[in-house]
Amino acid sequence: MSAVALEVQDLTGPAGSPIVRHVSLTVPRGGTHIVLGPMHSGKSLLLRLLLGLQRSEHGTVTVDGISFDAAAPNDEQLARARRRVGVLFDSSALVSRLTMLENVELPLVEHTDMDARAARDRAAELLREVGVEGDMDRTPEFLSRLDRRRAALARALILEPPLLLIDEPGHGLDPHAATELDDTLASLQLRYGCAALICSQEVRYAFRSPDAVSVLSAGRVVEHGDLDHLRRSQHQAVRRFIDRRGAA
Amino acid sequence: MRQASVTPGDADATEDVSPSFGIPGGRFITRGRLALRSAYWLASLLAPSASGRPTPVAASVTRELDVLGFGAIRLVAASALLVGLITVFQVAYQLAPYGAEVVSARALAWFVAREIGPIVVAILVVARSAAAIAGEFASMSANGEIDALRAMGLDPVKYLVVPKLAALLIALPALTAVAVMLAVVGGWLGTSVALGYNSALYLQHVHESLALGDVGVGLAKSVMFAILIGLIAADEGLRVERRVSAIGDAATRAVVHCLISVLAADTMVNAFVYFIPALT
Repeated sequence: MSAVALEVQDLTGPAGSPIVRHVSLTVPRGGTHIVLGPMHSGKSLLLRLLLGLQRSEHGTVTVDGISFDAAAPNDEQLARARRRVGVLFDSSALVSRLTMLENVELPLVEHTDMDARAARDRAAELLREVGVEGDMDRTPEFLSRLDRRRAALARALILEPPLLLIDEPGHGLDPHAATELDDTLASLQLRYGCAALICSQEVRYAFRSPDAVSVLSAGRVVEHGDLDHLRRSQHQAVRRFIDRRGAA
Repeated sequence: MRQASVTPGDADATEDVSPSFGIPGGRFITRGRLALRSAYWLASLLAPSASGRPTPVAASVTRELDVLGFGAIRLVAASALLVGLITVFQVAYQLAPYGAEVVSARALAWFVAREIGPIVVAILVVARSAAAIAGEFASMSANGEIDALRAMGLDPVKYLVVPKLAALLIALPALTAVAVMLAVVGGWLGTSVALGYNSALYLQHVHESLALGDVGVGLAKSVMFAILIGLIAADEGLRVERRVSAIGDAATRAVVHCLISVLAADTMVNAFVYFIPALT
């Protein structure tokens, strides 16, 4: 078992018109790495490149010991790597045609030989665990934004992956709901022992004791380290985050 | 919990669902690839699952059949009835100088089964569903749902395109059969009720002029149209970028491309059949 959940080396992309440049970072098993950056700094694109949703110009991604060349990934390696990652998109991205239960059980049904009833029971159990209340047989459009995000979190966790990739967890949520989701995320991460790479423009994530924080500006990591290191940084992009938090 | 092995459907795991079409003929290439992937997943849908349980795709086919097939019955039925009436009036008007209006039943039955039935149903389904399919996929793409499926190692073609394609493959021939029957009923209303000719004579002409081969050609055309509509509408929806404004464009393009493709394919089939007399 690899001690590192995610290792990214010199990732530059997308191919042809790179926006993310020379990004290298590591997430230890069970650890949390925050990628902090303003809008359009390349955070969401970084996640797409890590998942092989867009081809990179160059770079290597290693997920739980499985490496693939981000510029020309081997299909089988990429497929195996993807099955070790749970993803929480900023829009939740639940399949609108499927009910909440179907959305959550989908990875189980497709990637394991679990019995249909057991898969449904497990999906329902996990939905309750993340705090979803109400009718699970409804399609996502009938749910609150918080419940959609919770259901997406349940879907990301259903295969108990060693790594979660999370894009703007608090996107579109009011402060109360965002804090509730952060707490749920932290407790589930602890329970399932999965590592997390959280991309956000909200500096509060850097203050939740992550293992490391990388600050992304114009597609480059301009600062990397723990919170104390960031506090001492004189880089303008970092100061904007830290000083804002101080002002708040 | 056993992790399933990589399936042939994962072979395109690194590719966009509908990659860019900057290269000449790129649209045909991507649609050809979409067709091959759909064919693969359609075949796997027909094969019994190892666990013996219905897959989410099979459940989706039922849902789509309800929307794309049953949902279109009223529209198709009303249109077919009216088309039958219109056709019989037009043909009867042309034959009136020869006192042969009743013979219009012969032209109607043959023409409706081979041509009017499948083409009218295809056009109605394009108008009703092509924009909806493209708009739905484009909206899903803008919402990140397509990316979410791919990120989970699931092929969007299997979950989104195949259920609609399978539903259209069932619905279009069925709707065509309904349309042909109701157009013949419309023709009967025209000749017997409006023009006052004998119903038995009308039915006799229909029976004499309509061969099983005519119905077969019409149904075969409807299968071809189902494939074209399903693939083109899906492709137009899946190829959009993650922009909300792209949804309307995709829906419009889907209708235009589907209509042209259906008419072009129909023309080619008719020309082919015309020049090979054995097929007529």
